[in-house]
Amino acid sequence: MRKYRRAFFIPKEIFRIKKFTFSIAIVVIVILVALIGPLLYPKLNLSLYAGPPDSPPSNEYPLGTDRNGRDILSHLLVGMRTSLYVGAIATVIALTIGVIVGSFAGFKGGIVDEILMMITNIMYTLPAILIMILIASYLKERSPLFVAIVIGITSWPWLARAVRAQIMSLKEREFVQMSKMSGLKGYEIIFEDLLPNMASYVFMSVALLLSISMLAEAGLSMIGAGIDPSTESSLGIMLQRAQQGEAVRLGRWWCFIPPGVVLVIITTSLLMLSTSIDEYFNPRLRGGK
Amino acid sequence: MPAKNNILKVENLTKVYEVGLFKKKYITAVDNISFSISRGEIVSLVGESGSGKTTVAKIILRLLPPSSGRVLYKGEDIWEKKGIESLKAYWREVHAVFQDPFASFNPVYKIDRILEQAFNLMGTPVDENAVNEALKEVALLPNEVLGKYPHELSGGQRQRLMIARCFLLKPQLILADEPVSMVDASTRASIVNLFLRLRDEYKTSIIFITHDLGLAYFVSDRILIMYKGEIVEEGPPDELISSPRDDYTKKLLESVPLLYGKWKGF
Amino acid sequence: MDILKAENIRAYYDSPIGEVKAVQDVNITVEDGDFIGIAGESGCGKSTLANVLMMNIRPPLKFCGGKILLDGEEISGKDRRYVKEKFWGTVISLVPQAALNSLMPTKRIKEFIIDVIQAHKKISEKEILELAKNKIVEVGLPPEILSLYPHELSGGMRQRVVIVASAILNPKLLIADEPTSALDVSTQKQVLKMMVDLQRKQSIRSTILITHDIAIQRQVCNKLLIMYAGRVVEYGSIDDVIYNPKHPYTKGLINSVLTPEPEVRRRGLMALFIPGEPPNLVNPPPGCPFNPRCPFAMPRCKSETPELTYSDNRAVACWLYIL
Repeated sequence: MRKYRRAFFIPKEIFRIKKFTFSIAIVVIVILVALIGPLLYPKLNLSLYAGPPDSPPSNEYPLGTDRNGRDILSHLLVGMRTSLYVGAIATVIALTIGVIVGSFAGFKGGIVDEILMMITNIMYTLPAILIMILIASYLKERSPLFVAIVIGITSWPWLARAVRAQIMSLKEREFVQMSKMSGLKGYEIIFEDLLPNMASYVFMSVALLLSISMLAEAGLSMIGAGIDPSTESSLGIMLQRAQQGEAVRLGRWWCFIPPGVVLVIITTSLLMLSTSIDEYFNPRLRGGK
Repeated sequence: MPAKNNILKVENLTKVYEVGLFKKKYITAVDNISFSISRGEIVSLVGESGSGKTTVAKIILRLLPPSSGRVLYKGEDIWEKKGIESLKAYWREVHAVFQDPFASFNPVYKIDRILEQAFNLMGTPVDENAVNEALKEVALLPNEVLGKYPHELSGGQRQRLMIARCFLLKPQLILADEPVSMVDASTRASIVNLFLRLRDEYKTSIIFITHDLGLAYFVSDRILIMYKGEIVEEGPPDELISSPRDDYTKKLLESVPLLYGKWKGF
Repeated sequence: MDILKAENIRAYYDSPIGEVKAVQDVNITVEDGDFIGIAGESGCGKSTLANVLMMNIRPPLKFCGGKILLDGEEISGKDRRYVKEKFWGTVISLVPQAALNSLMPTKRIKEFIIDVIQAHKKISEKEILELAKNKIVEVGLPPEILSLYPHELSGGMRQRVVIVASAILNPKLLIADEPTSALDVSTQKQVLKMMVDLQRKQSIRSTILITHDIAIQRQVCNKLLIMYAGRVVEYGSIDDVIYNPKHPYTKGLINSVLTPEPEVRRRGLMALFIPGEPPNLVNPPPGCPFNPRCPFAMPRCKSETPELTYSDNRAVACWLYIL
């Protein structure tokens, strides 16, 4: 009986903002390299002593090898994929929890709001780092999925708060009252009326969460509390290996510069993406009209 | 007013807001007000900002619960109603037109949605003929407005669409909260006329909520003046402006700019 | 000498959809002691005109023609900065729409006034405060408000402060754009009284009051100018225009004014109708801009644009009155 003709303004005009086009191009390129790179690179070799250890970049090994002879380029390509995987899963988890908690707290108000906010505030104070360090001391097999889940369930509080604030201001708008008086129930109003109006914020949050999660993974892995390095590679793990091998002191830049640069590129372009989305939907930020 | 003609009865309605976390402050938005409306009557609730008139409207529309007091619709306490079906039955008969013609529409959907929601409320499938009829009543051409987004239409067109929704529902009582204050002067008259027609053709009672004493005077059978949450004076328009009793009413009348009379001391 | 004389003013906006003809062929004369009302609905160009009259023109707005004489000097060809330094605040002052919201919440009122005045004229802070205090007391406000923050004042107080700030240097012409639309009716009267008093006491010599509320203009103005689609369609003394409107749009506009008076009730509802909507200013209809909605439209109205024609002190732009 209900046929809603929904509008999703994925406006073409947004591509006119150079920042947006530029940053989304970089993000897409990085994702493609991460996904397809390992398939295209003919000399993919993830084993130890794939080549002579500590060799600088050459024709054989374009990014050189590390202290244990690992081919940096192979590990970089696979590492990008792992880091992105962790980032994506963590983002999905944090987004889902954050949006659901925030919108119900904001919309229902009263006791529901108080309870949900109490939970949110408690979760706020639990840093992923401490949890992971604790777990690292007990669990040997820390898969990327596991790390992603931990990051995801510790990153949602700020999003819940932000979503709640937006919902609380939107719900006073007359169109929400009209929907209420049309007999729509709470969750229907949240999903049909309120969330589509926050679409821009949701997109921004996805970009932000992705970059935060990838940095979190890198940080955790660097201190050895993240993904189990014995079976996997990620950008963070590569940095950790470089650190353990004293690559900085010994001048073996090819061990830490490539993963570092890739990390910087992906997180910066994600940040740029999120600010350009914000600028598009808030023209005031574009530098005055 | 004979009791059986009463469609709405507000009894000792009060709404108090609690503000603050530790040191609580109490704000009385609505202070023990009582009044009633009969079928086909047009009543204006006149007050300036902060008078509590919008709060009263929200309580009557069952959007905001009162702190104490009752609202009786056709003899039944509306805040005793439970369950989505009885609420929907209430909203079928008591509906609203709000002030901001832009904010009344969800910008993400086409305007057709508010008409479709009306059918959802009535529990019947969308009837295109009824939609076209309703649009005709408010002097809108279907191909002019259907399928468009709110930002593609003018304020006057949007406000007419809200009234078209009322023509579909044919409610018994409409609360119109500043329905013409954000609409151009030249289109204002035709929109006011639409409300009058709803009353004339369907005996719809209308409560106008407004700060505009001129509008209230023009259109009402009775005017209620609200100040600081209380009803300070009540009466038919001519009596109210020629012999006001309350001091606030007098002050209001002295401050309203007139087209024929002149302010003293100017 | 006229304080302001503007002839055939034309100002357009550049917009993504085309050139918006915001002000077309407008003539306006302000004499000493005038309190002129400019009335019209949203989009008729009255706010744009206010800015153009003081040459406050910045892209996308552009000045496309006409002559403006302010206090005898021609400012229409001059640079915005020149006009700003020489005339703003001292000869002509503008209180824009929603000015009461432009007060910085972190600055005290006296700081606001100092900023505003020093932007137009190099005067010492001490002198400004002296002038400000005098003016505040003159209009009957307590001098203590100078030390307060904006949020400590009511909306009506803030609006009065902004108006006083524009009048401190005794400009000859004050233009106020919708000074009371955000205020309650009782506060509105206080603000208007202050504006009338400022003129009576010669702090200001003349005022232009821009608003869509004609009843207000009836109370304080001596002349009324009606704008539609960027043009002046009628002009004359306030009583003449209100009680003997000539232009069909003016008639409709006056008829749609609702005040709590028996005369208004008697007029009835049918008289209030003006069907249709104001025109698109990028592509206004040919001929008279009101012709699509006019109940008296003649064939001539659809092809030729009537000019504002004067007889005595009355002007109308309508083919019904031009022979």
